[in-house]
Amino acid sequence: MTTVQFLFKHARFVSTCAVALACSAAMAAPATVGQPAPPFTATDTSGKKVSLADFKGKHVVLEWVNPGCPYVVKHYSSANMQGTQKEATAKGVVWLAVNSTATDHGDYKTPAALAQWMQSQKAAASATLMDADGKLGRAYGARTTPHLYVIDPQGVLVYAGGIDNKPSSNPADVATATNHVKVALAETLAGKAIGQPVTRPYGCSVKYSSM
Amino acid sequence: MHLPSILKRPAALLVSARRTLAWGAWLLPLHAMAAAGAEVVTPQVRAELVAHAPQGLAADKPLWLGLKIEHKPHWHTYWKNPGDSGLPTTLTWTLPAGVQAGDIQWPTPARLPIGPLMNYGFEGTLLLPVAVKLPAGWQGEQLDVKLQAQWLVCKDVCIPEEGEFALRIPARAATAGQGALFDATQARLPQAAAGLQGSAEVQGADLVLKLRGLPAAWQGQALAVFPELAGVINNAAKPQAQWQGDSWTARVPLDAQRSEAPQQMALVLARAGAAAGLGVTVPVTTPWPTVAQPAPAAPLPAINTSPATGVAQAPAAAPSSSTAPASGLLGALLLALAGGALLNLMPCVFPVLSLKVLGFAAHGQDRKAVLAGGLAYTAGVVLSFVALAALMLALRAGGEQLGWGFQLQQPLVVAALAALFTLIGLNLAGLFELGTVLPSSLAAARARHPVADSALTGVLAVAVASPCTAPFMGAALGLALGLPAWQALLIFGALGLGMALPYLLASAWPPLARALPRPGVWMAHFKVLMAFPMFATVVWLVWVLGQQVGIDGAAAFLGLLVALAFAAWAWGSPALGRRARVGFGGAAALALVLVGQWAWPSLREAPASAVAATGPAVGADGWQAWSAAAVQQAQAEGRSVLVDFTAAWCVTCQVNKRTTLADASVKAALADKKVVLLRADWTRRDSAISAELARLQRSGVPVYALYAPGATAPLLLPEILTVAGVQAALGALPAPR
Repeated sequence: MTTVQFLFKHARFVSTCAVALACSAAMAAPATVGQPAPPFTATDTSGKKVSLADFKGKHVVLEWVNPGCPYVVKHYSSANMQGTQKEATAKGVVWLAVNSTATDHGDYKTPAALAQWMQSQKAAASATLMDADGKLGRAYGARTTPHLYVIDPQGVLVYAGGIDNKPSSNPADVATATNHVKVALAETLAGKAIGQPVTRPYGCSVKYSSM
Repeated sequence: MHLPSILKRPAALLVSARRTLAWGAWLLPLHAMAAAGAEVVTPQVRAELVAHAPQGLAADKPLWLGLKIEHKPHWHTYWKNPGDSGLPTTLTWTLPAGVQAGDIQWPTPARLPIGPLMNYGFEGTLLLPVAVKLPAGWQGEQLDVKLQAQWLVCKDVCIPEEGEFALRIPARAATAGQGALFDATQARLPQAAAGLQGSAEVQGADLVLKLRGLPAAWQGQALAVFPELAGVINNAAKPQAQWQGDSWTARVPLDAQRSEAPQQMALVLARAGAAAGLGVTVPVTTPWPTVAQPAPAAPLPAINTSPATGVAQAPAAAPSSSTAPASGLLGALLLALAGGALLNLMPCVFPVLSLKVLGFAAHGQDRKAVLAGGLAYTAGVVLSFVALAALMLALRAGGEQLGWGFQLQQPLVVAALAALFTLIGLNLAGLFELGTVLPSSLAAARARHPVADSALTGVLAVAVASPCTAPFMGAALGLALGLPAWQALLIFGALGLGMALPYLLASAWPPLARALPRPGVWMAHFKVLMAFPMFATVVWLVWVLGQQVGIDGAAAFLGLLVALAFAAWAWGSPALGRRARVGFGGAAALALVLVGQWAWPSLREAPASAVAATGPAVGADGWQAWSAAAVQQAQAEGRSVLVDFTAAWCVTCQVNKRTTLADASVKAALADKKVVLLRADWTRRDSAISAELARLQRSGVPVYALYAPGATAPLLLPEILTVAGVQAALGALPAPR
């Protein structure tokens, strides 16, 4: 990278944060495990408003998704994500997939296209939320696709991290990996403390808008 | 002959390479490039396997291999800690025997911001060098090396790529075509600075780094911090730093979703204008705060670690063991043999042992029959061990997290064993006789084939003995699971042979058989006497069952045992007349069906919530439930940790728990050293515990792991604890802070 490009990249980064005062706050203090999960209202792929407050009393899973990311594709092509979604929703858990890809990014999908992709994957998410401005993603500190969060019925964030412990893009690794989300859900549904409440997420970066 | 020392990609250096892109391929359009040379070209990078041996090849001459990655503009690959997203490049070498490649020497990375996120990696031309060591006295015309590399290359999209490379390096010619690149890379590797040291402490939501002894050229400059371990700091945040002479103090915000709690922070510092960073490792001098847990259960300390990233928490060293594990297969076989023999002394094998003693006494005078019985018993034991091991290996291959003793994690298996022991006990006590119950042809066959009977006794012995991990078995079985299947089976076979060995020897050695008392009335008494250990075993099994399915399930099962006893009496008592037998028999059949229907649902696996309540092993006596996080937390607080891997069905575990671990002096010593007591209860299947056992190279319980403060690898105590042994281990711990 040339010096000019380097400076430009940094300049954009710096100005981004200078213009949006909320930015530094959101970056410095995103959602923390053990604390109340940041409330939000977002629009799903069918245009319906969905609020975290709607699900008080239920466990909620947030899954950051981007069909253009090989790591997301790994977990959908192996049916791992759908299986985890089915198992969770069958136990009354609300599963919200969130796409924070910016509209000007090549990976961006319109609500209809994203809904169609989820349907083609036989996904079992309760709803798929559009977050093109990245507010929801920044509030939760979502870094990668996939990146997963579990919120308990009292609205407390109880898990943040990866889908499993094998950071690769090879679908065959799913069989031998420990699915952190399944384990966390089983523990919290049983009223137990989650053994690994924070793990390291892996995957592509979330394609945030520059705001 | 002197070859030119500068060879720009010499013809000798090349054999084959191909672009595989294997697992990324389903996603990507294949820009097929028929690669020629030790290079792989994708639309994003040109990657090449390169070598540097400026003095030719010899054991004492420098030899470097490396993957050279030329990124297309704006594309990057990642450092060992990739930052907020991404994955580090991995190299897997295939080298001739004796040739050893070291770890990647990572050049100083750059900060690569992407939106609000920060990655650490490389753009432009990158070389990932690896030092290679040839064995002493190495001689050859050339060295053939193969490399399988995986890298994730990103711009605003990410593409996982991989390539296979091969290279032939001539021995007698200098290979220095890439010398400039290797030299330039050497100049980019983080350097150690004499006198550079410091510490890190957690202050609120920040990690405060205090370094002193920085070189003059660095003083007063803006520094970037790269932690080698991911998941600790907020990567995107800029540290707030202050200079005071050669001392640099920086406040780095922690990751709000921090997943690691290292005791040492390995850091690379970088500054503008210096190609090479500074490498320094500092201790973290304050404990890591815990994550608040809202769940109602006992508050678990819980900063956690993902096993995948586990640079810090997965001990690089194998756990040290007080019973030194044998290194080779032969050693493991001998250990297995000795462990198997000791199994006979385990409490859970005793009832079966008593059966065999009876068998000996009955055939005491018939040498041939005794020998045949001994051989048959041996065959039964060995084959059962091998079959059970094969089943376990097959299930593990299928991805199940199992260990030795896994069968007792199934309530139905425990119930079946308890029912079997009840029947054996009742039979020994004389309530019924097999000849009455079994169809006469079968009973006669059994009497006529004492050999088959002996073999079946062997099978029974294994079924009951398997959960009792005898001393030495832990090490042997842990080793076995990591071996190729045939070797593992061989070890389990040796275990069985060891268990049967005392009988085999006794049956083959006439003086011993003659030494047994002559058959007489005493045998009838002895037989009844042996019913009691059988019933004691049933009590134990019902207790295990109760842990698994709760008090209702255990009560239902006891009802079933009563019905079973009634049926055994009705059908099998020699004292009953024909009419009574028909009447009572019918009633017994009805009772069995009814009680069976009642008991069946509760014997199926109870929902996970039923075991969420503290089991017998957790909660009492200052013991807390184990988790990897709890161990880390306690260690972060500078405390020693004792982990008791146990299960209700493991008799050895229970004996240790009620004797040594309950001993007043041991308890006092544990309290004195402020040892954190954690119990991992494996009564039911638990993949986290299975994984931890595997990491400790054990496959069954009991295992007692004692972590000294700051030690990554635990000391493993013997399976059978003694007060003196535990005291000695505790005495070696440093006094608590």
